[in-house]
Amino acid sequence: MKKVAIVGIGHGKFGIRSDASLRELIFEAVKACLDDAGLSLKEVDSMVTGVAGDEFSFGIQPSAQVHDYIGFYPKPNFRVEGACATGSVALRTGWMNIVSGLADIVLVVGVEKMTEVPTSVATEIMGRAGDAIWEYPFGTTFPGYYAMIANAHMAAYGTTEEQLAMVAVKNHYYGSLNPYAQMQKEVTLEKAMTSFTVAYPLKLFDCSLITDGAAAVLLASEEKAKALSKKPVWLAGLGCATDAMRLGDRKSMTSLEASREAAKAAYKMAGIGPSDINVATVHDCFTIAEIVAYEDLGFCEKGEGGRLIEAKETYVGGRIPVNVDGGLKSKGHPLGATGVSMAVEISKQLRGEAGPRQVKNAQIGLTHNVGGSGQISLVHIFRRE
Amino acid sequence: MEFKNFSLFINQTKVNRFAEDLANGKITSTVCKHCGTQYYPPRADCSSCMQSEMEWKELPTQGNLLTFTRIHVPPEHFAVRQPLMPFSSVQFEPCPIGIIEVGKGLPIMGWIPKMDIKKIKVGMRMKASPFVLPDGKITIVLEPV
Repeated sequence: MKKVAIVGIGHGKFGIRSDASLRELIFEAVKACLDDAGLSLKEVDSMVTGVAGDEFSFGIQPSAQVHDYIGFYPKPNFRVEGACATGSVALRTGWMNIVSGLADIVLVVGVEKMTEVPTSVATEIMGRAGDAIWEYPFGTTFPGYYAMIANAHMAAYGTTEEQLAMVAVKNHYYGSLNPYAQMQKEVTLEKAMTSFTVAYPLKLFDCSLITDGAAAVLLASEEKAKALSKKPVWLAGLGCATDAMRLGDRKSMTSLEASREAAKAAYKMAGIGPSDINVATVHDCFTIAEIVAYEDLGFCEKGEGGRLIEAKETYVGGRIPVNVDGGLKSKGHPLGATGVSMAVEISKQLRGEAGPRQVKNAQIGLTHNVGGSGQISLVHIFRRE
Repeated sequence: MEFKNFSLFINQTKVNRFAEDLANGKITSTVCKHCGTQYYPPRADCSSCMQSEMEWKELPTQGNLLTFTRIHVPPEHFAVRQPLMPFSSVQFEPCPIGIIEVGKGLPIMGWIPKMDIKKIKVGMRMKASPFVLPDGKITIVLEPV
């Protein structure tokens, strides 16, 4: 199979970006990405745009807003969607573009402009990402789904609310070191534990943020990557899997089967296992999701996720550093941008450019991006060599 | 009985009989006439054998609680509005929800109106029943047995 590398990365500031529209957010990320690669748009063959929701940004053609504003037409560009995993769906689609031979250089962008609507409306839009017919009549929300996973996990494995809060403490610590993060401030365990309940047992600091933001990566074929880039980051393994719409229909309520399957496929393609990973970004839309991800990705045994964070093994210097960019929790979670932002962070780590958050001599990195409450999951593995 | 009285938003489906059954006090599922696969929530089409001849069947109502939560920040449709009376406030006490399994692959979601969240435990035995709300909407409640 053809090899594909990331040869450029760009990341806009995440946060409540009341100063900018969707297309302006994209421009920031694309400009930074092209500058990083030392290329102009003229040299890019094709583009993929990841946007999760139409209802946040008042337009049914977000991809057209993007190629219009950056002046990319008449070249190919279309929008892909996979709920909160949209950014990774875009990356996978960009990879397909090159492997198929349709293009040599592909720009992959992810964006979401979520704060144009009030928080209660954003909550409702996201709540419908569960089953709008059979679950929503019971007032379900995104935190509600993960709260049900948390209660099942706590009952089965003795995971505690303190362990959940420890994930928040870690991710806020690293978010405080990331200039692109929405909440660049630390939280104490006590503050996290005493914050108000959003969906029992999840509290405010167990939840990720509602965020505006964009990120971009430039992908290139092997030949182009070697000619263009001194430090290409190779996409070595890709996995994508799906699961039932409703929690009650799942094989397990304490793991995400889609993530387990996606991880299996990505590890197999890369020819490595979980112990080979030096640094990972995982989908911590809620603290329980990070604990479940440790287990689904094989960083620890099933049921041991709470103890892994308690032993601080997912800090820099620990067995497997996770979300040392602040994660969705503190960096923010602009749905369509998140998967691309994860790829940017892992590229920085493998290029040795992560500053105070750098994992020493990181060679192999992993991203894990989940859509909805586990209806789709994508795992990507990146290598320096 | 319109299906929307249960689903709130969606009104056009092949399984709208579900809402009528619920109004008549029964929680019903569909069973594929070809391969016998049973579906709850009911489906008009069988994803096991790709046939579409189904028959309706009442579900057992008792099962063990798979999981639960209590949502304190509700979506817009359920949100509490500020009262119009000056100097007054409303106290919002949300109702827990949960999922019980009444048979293999047959999960029923429902409200748990009569229990303190601290007393709800995964694995406890519960019973599901249809419930007509004061505004005429119809839903499902779970209570311990």
